[in-house]
Amino acid sequence: METIISIDGANVLCALKGRLDTLAAQQVSKDIQPVLEHAGGTVTLDCSDLEYISSSGLRIFLTIRKEASRQGGKVIVRNLRKEIGQVFLMTGFYNLFEMQQA
Amino acid sequence: MGAISRAARRFYARQGLLIVIIAALALEATSIIQYYFSRKGIREEAAMRAESELEATGLRITGVMDQVETAVHSNVRQVRERLGLPDSLAAVSRDIVEDNAVVFGSCVALVPGTDRAFAPYSYQSADSIATIQLTGEAYDYPSKEWFKVPLEKGEGYWSEPYFDTGGGETLMTTFSAPVRDGNGTIRAILTADISLDWLTEMVGNLKVYPNAYSIMVSRTGRIMVSPVETLVMRSTIQEAATKLDDPEAIQEINRAMLSGESGNKSIRMDDRNNEVFYAPVQRAGWSMAIVIPGTEIYGNVNRIGMIVKLLQLLGLALLAFVIHRIVKNQLKIKEVQERKDRIENELHIASGIQRAMLPKTYPPFPERDEVDLYGSLVSAKEIGGDLYDYFLRDENLFFCIGDVSGKGIPASLVMAVTRSLFRTVSARESEPDKILSQMNGAMSETNESNMFVTFFLGILSLRDGTLRYCNAGHNAPLLLGEGRADFLDVQPNLPLGVMEKMKYTAQETHLATGESIFLYTDGLTEAENEGLQFFGEERLRQAAAKTAGMSARAQVDAVDQAILTYIGTAAQSDDKTMLAIRYLGETPAETSEKHLVLHNDIKQIPQLAGFIETVAQAGSLNQGTAMSLNLALEEAVTNVILYAYPEGTDGMVEITAIIRPKKEIEFIVDDSGRPFDPTLAEQPDLELGVDERPVGGLGIHLVRSIMDKVSYAREGGHNILKMKKLI
Repeated sequence: METIISIDGANVLCALKGRLDTLAAQQVSKDIQPVLEHAGGTVTLDCSDLEYISSSGLRIFLTIRKEASRQGGKVIVRNLRKEIGQVFLMTGFYNLFEMQQA
Repeated sequence: MGAISRAARRFYARQGLLIVIIAALALEATSIIQYYFSRKGIREEAAMRAESELEATGLRITGVMDQVETAVHSNVRQVRERLGLPDSLAAVSRDIVEDNAVVFGSCVALVPGTDRAFAPYSYQSADSIATIQLTGEAYDYPSKEWFKVPLEKGEGYWSEPYFDTGGGETLMTTFSAPVRDGNGTIRAILTADISLDWLTEMVGNLKVYPNAYSIMVSRTGRIMVSPVETLVMRSTIQEAATKLDDPEAIQEINRAMLSGESGNKSIRMDDRNNEVFYAPVQRAGWSMAIVIPGTEIYGNVNRIGMIVKLLQLLGLALLAFVIHRIVKNQLKIKEVQERKDRIENELHIASGIQRAMLPKTYPPFPERDEVDLYGSLVSAKEIGGDLYDYFLRDENLFFCIGDVSGKGIPASLVMAVTRSLFRTVSARESEPDKILSQMNGAMSETNESNMFVTFFLGILSLRDGTLRYCNAGHNAPLLLGEGRADFLDVQPNLPLGVMEKMKYTAQETHLATGESIFLYTDGLTEAENEGLQFFGEERLRQAAAKTAGMSARAQVDAVDQAILTYIGTAAQSDDKTMLAIRYLGETPAETSEKHLVLHNDIKQIPQLAGFIETVAQAGSLNQGTAMSLNLALEEAVTNVILYAYPEGTDGMVEITAIIRPKKEIEFIVDDSGRPFDPTLAEQPDLELGVDERPVGGLGIHLVRSIMDKVSYAREGGHNILKMKKLI
C-alpha cells in the first residue's frame, strides 16, 4: 500500500495505491496525518489505483471527511473503481463525499 | 335425423313396397292360373257327372219305356186274335196292367168305322184292377192323340204327357201301337199308360249337387218335370224363358233340347251363373236338363280360392311387416352407424385438440444446446387424458407429464385444464412443491367430476443440471446414463385433484452431461401382449437402459419399438406417452474445500488475498465477486483477530471455504475465543451525516450486505460463523 501526498497551498492531493486492508489501514492512518492537517482546504483523494478496501480503510476516509467538515474544507474522491464504489454504496459513504470521475 | 336419412327412409319404404307389390303380383298370377285350371278340372268333372247322370237316367227311362212297349207289342197278337170277340178284349188290357207293375192303365180301342166304338180300359185302382169303357159323351176317344196319331202313322207312338182326367187323375203318358188284321188294316189301337210320378221322382232326384235341379221337357217343349210345380204341364221352357235374365241363352238351350241334342251351356239365371247340361231321352223325344248353380260347382274352388287369397293376404301382410322391420332395423343400424361415426368424428376432433395442445416442434429450443428433448403421445382408439408439456424460464426447463383418470372427451378437457394450470402457475412460481400445491388447490376446488391427475413436475437447471422435482402419484421416471438406468427416487404423494389441502414435497437430484430423465405414463407399463401380460416396469427399464447416450428422440423411438414388438398384434388400449429430456449442459466441477489457519495477528490479514485467489480460481469467480468475498471474509476474520482472544494471548482462527461451483461459496470461520455472535450486532444508521457518523461498526454490516446467508453457532467452545454467497 502506497500513499502519495502532495500539498499545493489549500489544495491537497492524496493518491492511494494498492490494497487498503486492515493491516494497511494501520499504516495509512499514520501516513495521512499531513492531509488531516490541511483538511480546511480542498482534499482530493485519488483512488485510481486503489484496488481494495476494508472497513478499516473506510474508517480513514471517514476520518478525513470528519476533519474537513470540522475545518470547513471539502473532500473529493476521484476515480473510484467500480468494485470499491459498490462498497461505498453498501455503507452509505457514497453520499458523504463529492465523487469525481476523470 | 338428417336429410340423408329421411331420403334413405323413403328409399327403403319404396323398395319395400315394390317387393310387396311384386310378391303380390306373382302370387296373384299363380292363383289365377291355379284357379283357371281347378275351375276347368271341376267343370269337366261336373260335366262328366252330369252327363253320366243324364245318361243313366235316360237309360232307366228307356228301360221303363222298353218294358211298356214290350208289354204292348207282346199283346198285339192277343188283340188281333180277339178282334172278332170284342168282349174278351178287356181281358187283354187287364192282363197288361196286371203283368206290368209300371203300367198304370191299358186300353184296347177299336177303330170306329170298321167296328163299333169300343174301348175297354183297365187301370190300377186302390188294390185291384178296374175296367171301364172309354166311350160315351164324356170321352170321345177317336179324337184323342193317343188314338189318332198311331192310327194315322201306322206305328207305335208315345203321346205327349197329359193329365189324365178320366181314369188315373195323374200325369201320364201313353204308348199306343196299332193292331192290324190279316189284311194289314188297322183295326184297333192298344195302349199302355204310365204314370209320370216315378219319372218326376227319378228326374227330380237327379241331384248331382245339393242345389242343382233337373227339368224335363216333352217333344213339344212342355215342361214335364220341374222343381217349380206350377210350371209343370202348364208352361214351356220358351214361355218360362221370357221371365229370365238371359232369354237368348234359354232359347238356344230350348232349341237344342227340342232338336234332341245333348250338350252344355252356361246361363245367367236367378241372379247367378248356372251350368246347364242337357241330353235327350231318345225313345220319347223328351229332353232332360240338369241345372247346376255355378256356386255349387265352383263353390269349393271359390272357397279354396278365398282361403288361398286370405293366406296370400296374410303372407303379404307378413312380408310387408318383415320388410318394414328389416327397413326399420336397417335404418336403425344406419342411424347407429351415423351416430357412431359422429362420435368417432368428435373423438377424432378431441384427439386433435389434445395433440394440438402438446408441444410438437422439434427441436423445441434450437438456440439452447444444453438440452435435447422429445415427447410423443400416441392416442389409443378411445382418447385418454395424457399430457406432457415444457417451457423455458430463467435458465430453467419446466416440464411435466400427467395422466388424467378416465377416458374420452371429459378426460381430454381435464387434461387441457391441467396443462393451462401448469403453464400459469409455473410462470410465476419456481418451487416444484409450491407449483403442485397451487395446481392441486385449483383443481380440487372445481373438481365436480371427481377426476384426478397423476402428475410429475420437474425443473431442470440448464446451468448445472440440477433437477428439482415433485411427484403427484405418477409413475417414477427413469434416469438414464452410461451404465445407469434407475427409477428416480420419488415420493408417491396423492394425485392432483384428490384432496384440497395436500402437502407436496419437493425433491432434488442432478443430471450429469449426457444423462436423461425418461418420463412415461402407465400406457407403457400396462401395455398388454396377446397373453394379456403387462409390459411392466422391469421390461421398460431394460428397454430404456439400452438407449443410454442416444438422442432424446432415439430414446423415445427405441422404447416405443420395444413396446410394439412386445404387444405384437394386441390392440393399444391406452394413451402411450413418453417424454425424454437429455441434459447436455456443463456438469459443474465437484465441490471443493480450501483451508487457511491464521493466528490472532493482524499482520496475517494479507494472507486472505492469496486464499481468496485460490477460491476464486476453484469457483471460477470474477474479480468483483472475489473482491467482495475478500472483504466479507476479512471483516469476519479481523473481528476474531481483534476481539476474540484476550490481549496478548495467542489464538487461532481457522477458515474453511467450500466451493460449490456455479452455485455458492461458503466460508466457515472457526475460533476458540470467547463467545461472540457477530450477527447480533446492531445495524448502523447509514443515513447519518458526516459529523454524527461513528467511525466503527461497518464490518459486520459489510458481511451481511455481501453474503447471502450468515449464521452463527457456538459449538464445543468454538465460535462458528458460516457465510454463504450464491454465485
